[in-house]
Amino acid sequence: MIGEYLDPRKEFGKAVTALAKENDKIVVLSADSGKSSGFGDFAKQYPERYYECGIMEQGVIGVASGLATTGKVPVFCAIAPFVTARPFEMFRNDLGYMKQNVKVVGRNCGISYSDLGATHHSLEDFAIIRMIPGVVVLAPQDPTEIKTAVKAMLEHEGPVYMRIGNPSIPVLFDEQPFEIGKGRIIREGGDVTVISTGSTTKAAIEAADNLSGQGVSVRLIGMPTVCPIDEELVIESAHKTKGIITVEEHYADGGLGTLVSEVCSSKCPVKVKRLGIPKTYASSGPYDELLAYYGLDAKGIEKSVNEFLK
Amino acid sequence: MANLNDITSLELTASKCRENVIRMIKASEHGHIGGALSCLDIVTAVYFHAMNVDPLNPKKEDRDRFILSAGHKCLAQYAVLAEKGYFPKEVLDTYGSLHSKIPGHPDMHKLSGVEANTGALGHGLSIACGMALGVRDNYPDAKIYIVMGDGELPEGSNWEAASVASHYHLDNIVLFIDNNGLQISGKVEDVMNMTPIDERFKAFGWAVRNIDGNDMREVIETLDSIPLEKGRPTAIIAHTVKCRGLSEGEGNIAFHYWSPSKEEAEAAEKEISDRTQALEQKSGENR
Repeated sequence: MIGEYLDPRKEFGKAVTALAKENDKIVVLSADSGKSSGFGDFAKQYPERYYECGIMEQGVIGVASGLATTGKVPVFCAIAPFVTARPFEMFRNDLGYMKQNVKVVGRNCGISYSDLGATHHSLEDFAIIRMIPGVVVLAPQDPTEIKTAVKAMLEHEGPVYMRIGNPSIPVLFDEQPFEIGKGRIIREGGDVTVISTGSTTKAAIEAADNLSGQGVSVRLIGMPTVCPIDEELVIESAHKTKGIITVEEHYADGGLGTLVSEVCSSKCPVKVKRLGIPKTYASSGPYDELLAYYGLDAKGIEKSVNEFLK
Repeated sequence: MANLNDITSLELTASKCRENVIRMIKASEHGHIGGALSCLDIVTAVYFHAMNVDPLNPKKEDRDRFILSAGHKCLAQYAVLAEKGYFPKEVLDTYGSLHSKIPGHPDMHKLSGVEANTGALGHGLSIACGMALGVRDNYPDAKIYIVMGDGELPEGSNWEAASVASHYHLDNIVLFIDNNGLQISGKVEDVMNMTPIDERFKAFGWAVRNIDGNDMREVIETLDSIPLEKGRPTAIIAHTVKCRGLSEGEGNIAFHYWSPSKEEAEAAEKEISDRTQALEQKSGENR
């Protein structure tokens, strides 16, 4: 089931570079961040479409907006907090309010820059960017989804925020077209629903399989579009199982769990438990150990599901 | 050299635009008049003397573009767009009303001719840099004009953008600093001293000229000289008078934002329409 491990940044850069061959409107912006974002080949193949701006994320968002007004499709990737929290007002006004066709990608998202500490973690990016009207928020879960989500993102007319991680991630799925706003049922089950997004889905699959061995039937949903959330799938899951547990490498507040809770509270009241990082400045250390500390590894998810069902 | 007919004609247009500004303020009973009137001669000259635009085809690809980085001066932009024929003048009477196409800061999705949603300061120049990069290969003559307030200069994002414009040799960028010297809390130099503005832009690699931004001859002669230096973006430090054209408000900080009584608004209207009539007469004599 779990396949080859691949670098998400390289897979992302490769996907954009491949599509740039067919679409000469695609341009890439860098805040001294392009090569670490997988754009080494793009810069070599399309130097006239590669704009290095140096370390100025606020400026880059504005430049991207201006380029988009001329019909270009700018893609800007850098470390997640620096393309979301830092230039938030530029994102809101220059991309959201101006409805510009710009794709912003936050890499090394969540706590994946684990040992670099809280300045380099992005644990509120879903929460703040989803509040900008008209912006799509994506968190692909494996290398195949990164590839297909990039295609969907570039074909979508309007601002998109995508977050990807840093360490290599395994192939989890067979490649299939990515539909913005749609989740996927990874495991069918009747006791409880687990909804996961982005980097935590691998652990969620392992947890669901372990639980199955213990006689707990988990309906596992992968939700690579955080906003707009797949309401239909959330409502269906609420009706089919006894409750919902959400899992994300983000604050437990404000992200996927909150979006699911919003749907449930208004359309299908059901108990929702939100797994994520508590609202604090996360600690630092080896990535796997940090995820385990915050209960976001397979064991932690398994434990939370068992407690939820007690 | 600019000829006298051109100058008088533009002064007359600017005066009509000032009438449009007062019309909007009368409709809403308030507005950011000071900065609008200080930059109004520049905005008039840019649209009526320099820009390649067509109000009937506002999105034509080879057009020049105008960005009002200091979005609160939008009364100037609305006044000029109306005079240029982008929208019927009746729309001016909706300023301040529910769902108006001309809100307190410009919205490109509501009004034809607006190129960027400004209002938050320090955004215009980086958007302009992106436009300049985006158009220069296909339309080498297309220019991006920006009006920025002097009170807006401390925003760090301006200097990020100033670096981009210089690094990429964007000589299709024409930036006017509306240097009226006053902002809401006092004199710009007292609030945050950004002088010497010209030397700062020069240090960032720009070609720079100081002008009297309310002198139509100086404004159009500068516009006729763009780019001042090939390969460099142009910064024009336009020394202006806050609330220019309304004698009571000229150089008066209280006129940054003005909520006139009916009588005050009517007096302003009369002062400016008298000026328009005098210019019409002068214009006729010049012919």
